[in-house]
Amino acid sequence: MSGLLSDIALFGADIPWLDGLRSRGRSAFVLPTAKTEAWKYTKLHALQRDDFVYSPSKFLEELEGVADSDDECGCTCGCGHHHEHEDCGCGGHCQCAHKPRLYIDLPFDAYQIHFYNGKFMPLYPALPVGVEVMTLMQAVVEGEAKNYVGKYIDLQKYPFAALNTAMLEEGLFVKVDAGVSLQKPLMFIYHTQTENPLVSNIRNIFIAGKNSSFEIVEYFYHVGGDKDCYFNNIVNEFYLSAQANVKHYKFQNEAFKAVHIALNYVNVREGAFYKSFCLQKGADLGRNETKVDLVQEQAQAQVDAAYIMNGWATLDTTTDVEHLSSSTSSDQLVKGVVGGQAKGVFQGKISIVKDAQETEGHQLHRALLLSDTAEIDVKPELEIYADNVKCSHGAACGELDQNQLFYMRSRGIGEDEAKQILIDAYLLEVISRIDNEQIKEWILSNV
Amino acid sequence: MADPLLKIEDLCAQVAGKEIIKNFNLTINEGEVHAVMGPNGAGKSTLSHVLTGKPGYEVTSGHVWFKGKDLLKMSVEDRAREGLFLIMQYPVEIPGVPVTSFLKHAVNAQRQYNNEPELDTMEFIKLLREEAKKLGIDAEMLKRPVNVGFSGGEKKRLEALQMTILKPSLAILDEADSGLDIDAIKVVSNGVNALMNEHRALLIITHYQKLLTYIKPDFVHVFADGHIVKSGNSSLSEEIEQNGYAAYTKEQ
Repeated sequence: MSGLLSDIALFGADIPWLDGLRSRGRSAFVLPTAKTEAWKYTKLHALQRDDFVYSPSKFLEELEGVADSDDECGCTCGCGHHHEHEDCGCGGHCQCAHKPRLYIDLPFDAYQIHFYNGKFMPLYPALPVGVEVMTLMQAVVEGEAKNYVGKYIDLQKYPFAALNTAMLEEGLFVKVDAGVSLQKPLMFIYHTQTENPLVSNIRNIFIAGKNSSFEIVEYFYHVGGDKDCYFNNIVNEFYLSAQANVKHYKFQNEAFKAVHIALNYVNVREGAFYKSFCLQKGADLGRNETKVDLVQEQAQAQVDAAYIMNGWATLDTTTDVEHLSSSTSSDQLVKGVVGGQAKGVFQGKISIVKDAQETEGHQLHRALLLSDTAEIDVKPELEIYADNVKCSHGAACGELDQNQLFYMRSRGIGEDEAKQILIDAYLLEVISRIDNEQIKEWILSNV
Repeated sequence: MADPLLKIEDLCAQVAGKEIIKNFNLTINEGEVHAVMGPNGAGKSTLSHVLTGKPGYEVTSGHVWFKGKDLLKMSVEDRAREGLFLIMQYPVEIPGVPVTSFLKHAVNAQRQYNNEPELDTMEFIKLLREEAKKLGIDAEMLKRPVNVGFSGGEKKRLEALQMTILKPSLAILDEADSGLDIDAIKVVSNGVNALMNEHRALLIITHYQKLLTYIKPDFVHVFADGHIVKSGNSSLSEEIEQNGYAAYTKEQ
């Protein structure tokens, strides 16, 4: 067995359903091999080591005494977030004294939520009425989480969701009430800075009430040495009530040697719309997997992605959109740029059940190969049982257009600059589908 | 007398193993307009491609001096930065790259090469709009991706605009093919005529004399079998208009 499962003590071992859920995760977790169909292009060598470490449970630590020292906020860290104990809302449990600055200069205003080395930093932004953010464990205690956590995730099919379930503890529970629209995005910033092969399992649950609308941005980044080889294993679950509108943006820019695996499970009800965009650029091995269930009529999903890489990295974009009701629609556009010895993987599946008539499902993957040693593996799949549907899929790989390069150079633009301009233009097609102008600019500036 | 702007000496060049340019000689001084005319398929365009450095064209012998420097040793971009500009017959479409940002990259690359400070966005847009207006290009076109969905006339307008902005010492107008769009040619001719002065020069490559009614050449050369077989003044082009190229190709 790999060292990915750990026996460290977790919060809530005495809660039977939670304990049972973790046990199911533990018994379902098996590291995929080259024979595992869903992982046949994405090799997991980077995870085959037995020195992975976990940091101890923060929730148990708090229960064991930190909680009573509430006269000292400990805000001597200069993190810039708050200096008044009353203002921070941390309830006296602020642990930022031991952490470096968490401030990130972002070109847009957002409700910032910070994770540091896989642990949520209890600094809550001032959220408007109707929006609730609490730790997943608090939601467990309050009885809110039980109805959602892992409800539709097949642990046999998603081995890393099984691992995440076995070690379930960290993560947030976000609830936006019916009719509430958030004016600013909710931004989850995952900082990692570790020299140890640290494993972090994070589970977030997002509940979008009827007619609610919000944007969530996830930003994974790294401060520290190039050799840091941690593993972030993320599972997000989105539950969209009728007519809800959720936009999910993600920028994966982990350390050069890191492993990042994420599963986004999305459940979309009547007339609701889930729209996502994920840029993967970092990590030695990165996989962003999205499973969407369009469960009621008029449910819609748009799952876009871009990836850009060099060196020896493998970046994987996997989607599975299931049309379970009539008049549902989905659209996917994925574009990648691969250089060096790197490998891009796209596996995209659209399935339409027998009763899901008048359904539309579209998918397009295009990639640019910048070198002879770069590799792209593409597996589009359509599984259609209904007869009145409109579906399309396409995949294409190409190289930079030599005529375009010559034209630009003949106007005095240097070769490297011309290539970068063409790469930016190539990815622009998908990035320009981001509605939020500021987020679009931020993504563009990071390509 | 100063160095000639361009001096081509005994140039031989091949494409895919086939020799197209054979012992070609031509000297162009500042302030001169030269026209190279020849029958279709004679390899006139190869000449413009070799001069600009397009990949796939191999020079097997000979020299080309541009402002006294060895042109053939320069990269494509450095030739442009030194002041060589090819007005292309078929400008390339570049989806996703707006005209404005494309031209800003080009201008600043040239300025950097000449150790001049780069233009900031505001300065550049002001300059671009002024020049665009003179050529009858509206601001909307500057926001569109380079040549994408442009009509033939619009493409030539954009070529003329690029030339006006980059102010080359030597412009090469390649209209080698027979399919000549007269409206488009008028646009380019106006741009070229406005730019010409005693320090600049122009090389026109064409099949038809028609083009030369819009831009008056000082010298006309007949190109056949890979080199110049006859040179003269503008009356030579009129003679070709009447008698065709038969007299020059039969000689070979």
